[in-house]
Amino acid sequence: MAHIHLGEGSFPLWALALWTLVGAGLIGVVTYRIRKGGIETQQIALAGIGAAASFAVFQLNLPVWGGIHMNLTGLVGILAGPALGALIALVVNVFSAALGHGAVGLLGANTLVNASEAVVAYYAFRTLVRMDWDTFPASAGAATVGLSTGAVLMGVIIVVSGVNGSALPRADLTVAVAGLVGLNLGVAVVEGLLTGFVVQFLASVRPDLLALADRGDDAAGVTA
Amino acid sequence: MERWKQYGALGALFAVALAAGLWGFRATGGALPWAKRSARALQRGGSEGGGSLVDLGRGIVVAGPIRKGGLVVEFLGLVVLLLVVGVALYVYAGRRPGGAA
Repeated sequence: MAHIHLGEGSFPLWALALWTLVGAGLIGVVTYRIRKGGIETQQIALAGIGAAASFAVFQLNLPVWGGIHMNLTGLVGILAGPALGALIALVVNVFSAALGHGAVGLLGANTLVNASEAVVAYYAFRTLVRMDWDTFPASAGAATVGLSTGAVLMGVIIVVSGVNGSALPRADLTVAVAGLVGLNLGVAVVEGLLTGFVVQFLASVRPDLLALADRGDDAAGVTA
Repeated sequence: MERWKQYGALGALFAVALAAGLWGFRATGGALPWAKRSARALQRGGSEGGGSLVDLGRGIVVAGPIRKGGLVVEFLGLVVLLLVVGVALYVYAGRRPGGAA
């Protein structure tokens, strides 16, 4: 899913500084909110599991549509919440960059992209649950919307920054990047469905993890 | 909300996303240019990450476009700025009431 794979030095210095500062600002706000509000122990456990799953699936290049990888950031956002979801996006990107998957200089931009997926997925899921949607369509739809948001943000970041050494004029770059964003929207459906199945299962066996304990619609059928 | 409305909305969302995906697949030339780049990045990471974790002989390598573009001074300035901001935040966090340090 959405992840900027351009190499080191691909962005102009001003863009690198801008996205790094915005990304650091987001992480600063999130850290401050967590420090002020605190987090429950089970959220820490979920965050750890989410980070591990996201990092693992990040590195799997699937031979679909020419080669993609999933992020599971929508799932992470729904399970761990927006604040921890943003921190997980940072951690996963740091470890991935250490492996050469994504530039170190683009950590700020990639953290923004993946954090936006987790944050939007979380709030979309909560909104749909409040509208009395069932767990599966709510989580699948929320993850798809979140991942699509990340894909669009990725495209905006690349087009606004420009790419050093690219022979493409800005208009052609915009069209090329729009194609990439569109491709990611298609893949978001696959990841959205996967997220829907995982959240549906978790809601069946442990609705308390999703703060859905007061909903009775998913509790039947599966027991742990 | 009625179930058919939920799944209808979900189906519409998927249809729009898949249509965009199909267009993107065609617009990027079958996605192969990006996919190859992605695959190279992953493979390069695997091969370059195979050495020792600490290699003092390698030194600090500044990325080619920065080095060749004559931006090393600006790059170092940015690094120093981030270091100063980081240290300042650390000191501030330690001195404010309830700080950890």
